[in-house]
Amino acid sequence: MWKEIGDREAGKLRPKSFTSRIKSNRIRTLQLSNHKDIVSPHRGSINSLQVDLTEGRYLLSGASDASAAVYDVQRATDYEAGGLIAKHKCIFVVDKQHESGHKYAISSAIWYPVDTGLFITGSYDHHINVWDTNTTQVVMNFKMPGKVYRTAMSSLATSHMLIAAGTEDVQVRLCDIASGAFAHTLSGHRDGVMTVEWSTSSEWVLVTGGCDGAIRFWDIRRAGCFLVLDQSHSQLGRRPQIPECSATNKVLTSKSLSAGQSSYTKPRTQQRKVAGGNGTKQSLVGRRQRLHPGMLSSQDRATAHYGAVNGLKVTEDGMLWDIQSGCNTLVNYETVRLQTSRPIQLATTQDSDLVFVPCMTAVKAFDVWSGKTSLTFRGHYEYVNCCWFSTQDQELYTGGNDRQILLWLPSRLIADEADEGPVQDQDNWSD
Amino acid sequence: MEEEREEGGKVRALIEKATNSTAQEVDPRLLKAIKSVVRYSDRELRLAAQTLMDHMKRDHSQVRYLTLLIIDELFMRSKLFRTILVENLDQLMSLSVGFRRNLPLPAPPAVASVLRSKAIEFLEKWNSSFGIHYRQLRLGFDYLKNTLKFQFPNLQAHAARIQQERRERERRSKELLLKKFEMLKENFSSRKEEIKSTIDEIGECLDIVCAKEEFMPLGPIDDEDFEEFRSSELLQIRLDTLKEGQKVHENNDNKVVFDALRELYKLLVTKHLVSVQEGISVLVRVEVADNRVRDSTLKELIDIRNCLQSVKKKCEESGCALPNTTSRDDEEEDFWEEGKIGSLENERPIVPNKQNENLSMALASIELKNRTLESNNRGSNDNELLSLEGGETGTNSLRNKLLADAPVMSWGSFLNNWGSNREVLANQRGLELESHWGRVDYDAVIPAEKIAELNVHSTLYEEEQTEIQPCRAPLRKGGLCQRRDLRVCPFHGPIIPRDVEGKPLNQNSSKDEITLDSGTDLVEQLAKQAVKNVRERDKEVVKKREIDKRSLKRAKLAKIREHNDVVLRDAALASTSSSAAIGEVMEATNGEKLSARNKKETLSSMLRKKVTPKDRLAQRLLNSQVKDATVRELTLGEDANYREAFPNQW
Repeated sequence: MWKEIGDREAGKLRPKSFTSRIKSNRIRTLQLSNHKDIVSPHRGSINSLQVDLTEGRYLLSGASDASAAVYDVQRATDYEAGGLIAKHKCIFVVDKQHESGHKYAISSAIWYPVDTGLFITGSYDHHINVWDTNTTQVVMNFKMPGKVYRTAMSSLATSHMLIAAGTEDVQVRLCDIASGAFAHTLSGHRDGVMTVEWSTSSEWVLVTGGCDGAIRFWDIRRAGCFLVLDQSHSQLGRRPQIPECSATNKVLTSKSLSAGQSSYTKPRTQQRKVAGGNGTKQSLVGRRQRLHPGMLSSQDRATAHYGAVNGLKVTEDGMLWDIQSGCNTLVNYETVRLQTSRPIQLATTQDSDLVFVPCMTAVKAFDVWSGKTSLTFRGHYEYVNCCWFSTQDQELYTGGNDRQILLWLPSRLIADEADEGPVQDQDNWSD
Repeated sequence: MEEEREEGGKVRALIEKATNSTAQEVDPRLLKAIKSVVRYSDRELRLAAQTLMDHMKRDHSQVRYLTLLIIDELFMRSKLFRTILVENLDQLMSLSVGFRRNLPLPAPPAVASVLRSKAIEFLEKWNSSFGIHYRQLRLGFDYLKNTLKFQFPNLQAHAARIQQERRERERRSKELLLKKFEMLKENFSSRKEEIKSTIDEIGECLDIVCAKEEFMPLGPIDDEDFEEFRSSELLQIRLDTLKEGQKVHENNDNKVVFDALRELYKLLVTKHLVSVQEGISVLVRVEVADNRVRDSTLKELIDIRNCLQSVKKKCEESGCALPNTTSRDDEEEDFWEEGKIGSLENERPIVPNKQNENLSMALASIELKNRTLESNNRGSNDNELLSLEGGETGTNSLRNKLLADAPVMSWGSFLNNWGSNREVLANQRGLELESHWGRVDYDAVIPAEKIAELNVHSTLYEEEQTEIQPCRAPLRKGGLCQRRDLRVCPFHGPIIPRDVEGKPLNQNSSKDEITLDSGTDLVEQLAKQAVKNVRERDKEVVKKREIDKRSLKRAKLAKIREHNDVVLRDAALASTSSSAAIGEVMEATNGEKLSARNKKETLSSMLRKKVTPKDRLAQRLLNSQVKDATVRELTLGEDANYREAFPNQW
């Protein structure tokens, strides 16, 4: 740490690599925070967490008791134990009592990417609501054909305001906030759509993953999907086929990824059809690179490591895996529990060398390049559903079935003894 | 490095040893050893934490329980241990509380429930002590409490509540005291007045009594009398009686005064004295800001009490006050008894205490008589005693001789009429027989012989107690067999004399020796021996043949039995789906044998299900045969009942 600062001072270190080193150091020391608690008002499992993208200050959570809450993660509402423990209570909650609240579990809650004046919730009651944060009133309401699993808005979009919604239905719908109508209906999946994500490199590119095990890339300016990730092709014959719907929970892996945005799903059906696959992975990679020459270096690396990751994962753990990618990409896919088709939320670090995956009651951080577990966060007493990594502060938020929202912070540089609180935590040997 | 590894093994071995026990607690010495090893080495501590977590995963509740106890000890002491442990708190909790449905606590169930309650208790304790430093503790506590709704013992709150209650009680009693104090202060003067007037009245009464008394004649005191009493105790008695005589005694004239006095005395004792005493205790306990008032009041009260007590004494001395009746009874009895045994040398001289002197007039006079009588008697008694002592040697020798001759008889009713030759009137024994049984002959007599016959001396035969010799055969585990049998010990054969080590004393040889020694005719002996030897040899041959025959037979039988066993086992295997049953049975019997042998409870023995009387009964009562029989029996009974109730129906 001090050496790096010295190097930076002397100009031996570039600003960018300096920050990335500091950040990765901090990430390596992530641990359950004792001094900052988020008090969850929810009475059901937490399904979705997101910190707003503009200020990095407001945390939005959606829970299965049909409530959504917003917290200020920078200013505590009160303190406990002599100022040692900062409690962050929610600023407001919208739940069933609200006149236009959801009736069933909220599966997805996201901020409007441009500011914190709006947020969007998707629920199992087939509705997507757009809320005004300041008045906590619903400003827009979309009726979907089935349970909503996931909603997404593009953080890059400048020319459209579309909410992509993955539902029970096979079609992916794009809801236009500006007009209040469905702008597109994308068909191609053969089963419900568990996850939708916008590309972080192009505002027109949408990635969806469905219960049928397919991952499709869409360019919303054209009809149909332009790419389906094909697991067998991507293997390049190097890795034995893993039974995809293995009865056991261990599953498989994923693979893949592409630059910028990758998603992975775990296939659910044994036979997976490649519909109109018009490209292998390789071609995909090439193409993306061509399309976006200005991509981050991390994206380049992502493509580079692609084959290697596959090989490692297969031979070494065969565990549920995922992947990741560029910045702030969320990857949704089915959990290891086959019977409950429930989406989980992954998170990645900014330079995309770690991906945080909820694994049963723990959250594991995997090294994207090697596939090895680098950190394990145990704290939840029941299954973890979602996690969010705040790249700005290097803080990890996790939410699970035990109704807790846990906060994982980098350990402090200087463990100040002063704020140990009224009671010192020390050895106490009486004999 | 080697050394370190060895060291490392130490804490592991200690933990292993400490948890391998069936006790309810960890052996304190082992615990101490673990603590001291771990205290000075972080490496050891880490190792201990790891080992303990491993032990928590054992499939035995007892091991987990003991491990949890050790964990608690270390947890409360070491910060490093806490930090290591809270990382895996959810695992620890699921292993000790068993809240995950797919990971229930292992057998035995009794220990498992103790383990669960202990774990919950510990979690609460940890949370209250270190919760603010460890988010994991708070999370675990919160989860168990609010999500799983486990009942926590809530020790702290409980203790706080008790404390609170006690404080409340104290406060209330203090208030009460204060109130009492206020009241006391208020009516202190009036109370004082009251007491004063009572005392005055008593004084006046006493004056009157004493004044009258002056005319009473004093008992005569003669010097001669004095000379008669030799011992000091007698002198004392005499003096007492004289004093008693001086006292005023109630008579018709002063009866009224005495009544009044008694009344006042009662008032004094039951009311004033008690209230003053109470006042003093209140003053002593109360806490008030102004100590001066309290102290002065207290002083006054004590003065009053002393005054009251002296007045009381005076009253009692004057004889007006009667102590309560029960105590009088006791003392009366004591009194008589003292009079009776007063002649013993070391008996305390009879000094009637004050209260005794307050006895009523009548009593006193009787006493007086008694005493004088006794003192007279005593004089003569003493003389006799002296003479007896003087002629001790003479009389004693005669007596001793007689005693030596006399048989010792056990007591019986015949002793009542020993040597009497009287006839007994049969109908004069206090029973009212008239008109119950017709005419009664009051002169009916039982002749002396009949009486003697009825009272014949009887004795019971008492078996002489002989000591049965212990067997004293040496035992394999050391020591001698202590069984006492008459002839044959079931384990070691006939009881024979043995030496200190339990070796049989060879009687034959000694006999032989003796005979040899004493035997004069050696040749004869030798011939006899030879004949004996030959006969023995013959016998041996015969025996051997028999044994051979028998062993042959036995071998045959064994073969047959073996065959039967095999067949049976095959049948059992075929009938039970898994062969596990047999293995189990064999294991169980082995285990029983083992446990019978070393009688020691082991961890595995805790897992075995105990066969309770209920099980045995259930086996008996619930097998199909019995069930069928019962059903049959019941239906039969029902049929019979039905037929009886409706005899005219089919």
